[in-house]
Amino acid sequence: MKKIFLFLLIVVFSILPCYAQNSVYLSISATGNRSDIALEHFIPTNKNENTLKFAGILRGIIENDLILSRYFNIIQTTPEDSGIQAMSVSKNSELAFKEKLLSWKKKGVSALLTGTVANNGDNLVLEVKMIDIVTGETIWNHKYKNKSLNHRYLAHEASDEIIKRFTGEIGIARSKIVFVNDSTRFKELYIADYDGYNLRRLTKDNKINILPKWSTNGDQIIYTGYLRNNPDLFVLNLTKSKRSIISKYQGLNVTGTFAPDGKKILLTLSREKQPNLYLINTSGEILRQVTVGPCIDTSPSFAPNGQEIVFISDRYGYPQLYIMNIDGGNVRRLTTSGSCDSPAWSPRGDKIVFTMRQARGSYDLYVYDLSTARITKLTNNQGNNENPTWSPDGRFVVFYSNRSGKGEIYIMAIDGSGTRKLVEIPGISYTPSWSPVL
Amino acid sequence: MKKGLLLMFVGVFVFVAGCKTQDVESSDSAEAKTIAAPTSELSTKGDSDVSMDFKTVHFAFDKSDLTDDALETLKENAKYLKDNSELTITIEGHTDNRGTSEYNLALGQRRADKVKEYYVQLGVANDRIKTTSYGREKPVDTDKNESAYSRNRRAETKKSTK
Repeated sequence: MKKIFLFLLIVVFSILPCYAQNSVYLSISATGNRSDIALEHFIPTNKNENTLKFAGILRGIIENDLILSRYFNIIQTTPEDSGIQAMSVSKNSELAFKEKLLSWKKKGVSALLTGTVANNGDNLVLEVKMIDIVTGETIWNHKYKNKSLNHRYLAHEASDEIIKRFTGEIGIARSKIVFVNDSTRFKELYIADYDGYNLRRLTKDNKINILPKWSTNGDQIIYTGYLRNNPDLFVLNLTKSKRSIISKYQGLNVTGTFAPDGKKILLTLSREKQPNLYLINTSGEILRQVTVGPCIDTSPSFAPNGQEIVFISDRYGYPQLYIMNIDGGNVRRLTTSGSCDSPAWSPRGDKIVFTMRQARGSYDLYVYDLSTARITKLTNNQGNNENPTWSPDGRFVVFYSNRSGKGEIYIMAIDGSGTRKLVEIPGISYTPSWSPVL
Repeated sequence: MKKGLLLMFVGVFVFVAGCKTQDVESSDSAEAKTIAAPTSELSTKGDSDVSMDFKTVHFAFDKSDLTDDALETLKENAKYLKDNSELTITIEGHTDNRGTSEYNLALGQRRADKVKEYYVQLGVANDRIKTTSYGREKPVDTDKNESAYSRNRRAETKKSTK
């Protein structure tokens, strides 16, 4: 009898660490079924008005993040079972808890997310729990602390970890998008969170600033600016709130893009000659001329391995997509028709998204699949669609479209579904770039 | 000169670090006003010298070849340049707003370089001429019709500010 008890004890303790180490991923596929989950009202730890307010706000941000991720269906309560929510607020009697789980289970819910919120003026604490609907076990829980001012970041941080727990993939709720807008009559850089909040203007030059691109780790943005009445390459250091000129040759210093190592930049320089691609360091010194010849070579994007690039060239009369090694060798043409531009290599390395216009048509977005060499059209009869760049998880693109009658920034899933406008803002917005997770 | 530029940067740059904390609704009123300012197009504003001395030449769609008209116009400009040998110039290449930002920047540069090449052929010293490109970013006409497009496909010869 004693032996059996000991054996049971060992079994129990060998299972427990699975939960203790937070290593359980609920598996759902990136493109397939969504998980049905419930997200209960967050419980304020006191009756303070602010705590109450933040409980609602934080839950709202996380719910939106989970919906935007397209990994989940957020199962809602219906009038008949308003008791479910009441139960979560009432005392945690075991019976009430079991009834609650059963009620969610009947709705097809596989996991329940609960939260408690504490707020004492400047500081905010959110504790999130993920509960298995069948066993009632807490699969994972975590406390997030931040200044109340940073409540959106705090909520996004929780969302990203929830997504990680469910999928094993990174969440993108802490990413941002930089783009150009002309509402001041000039062309300035603006930045917004990936969900459209925290819109801010970054530059105030009363000039033209275009084609911003994030650095690999997200602490810098490079762009082309006309502060000196020439398209020079600038860098904004976001952490030091400093900016400087990287490259200012007479003529083009345009379409700059960081190498994945963050130490080199590929861009188009004209230097009183034809526009060719050059590799420079972050101080602007030319390391190597990458393309040579009397044609336009521009719009480069690095493969995630840093060894290959995709770019456009009009070497045979009209702009087409090409891939080549960064040393200039092994040039391969990818497209055979249309006018192409703005290729962006996916973070996973398997796809290239770009814009292409066929004769008399508009610019549409396409995806080139590298393993099959197949091209899929993503937009159709929706005005011009240009300048796509990838989300850090490679499941979405942000792009310009004038489908509404004016140029605006949109986000859609890479299968062409679920399009949403990033932000409502006067004027025309274009040339967006999506940051890494910050 | 460098120091002056640097100062300008510091002066005009809006610090970003606070951006995690502020919703657009709560932006300060000055910012909100600027964002809501009525849109009138950039056109030639923000640039100092629109020279009356030089004539602008125009191009066919997606082309940088100089038309017969353009050659005649550039001959006049070149004569003025040779008569005023102290002048240095910048040629700005522009495109219409069809096509992408990136490609049009390169196309504009190609147009400016074609004009420079012809000036040099006509005897203007190479080192008096700079070229640059605005691509599709600085139209003179924002209408969406062929007449606006053809006005925007241009190369402007301007006195260099310095």
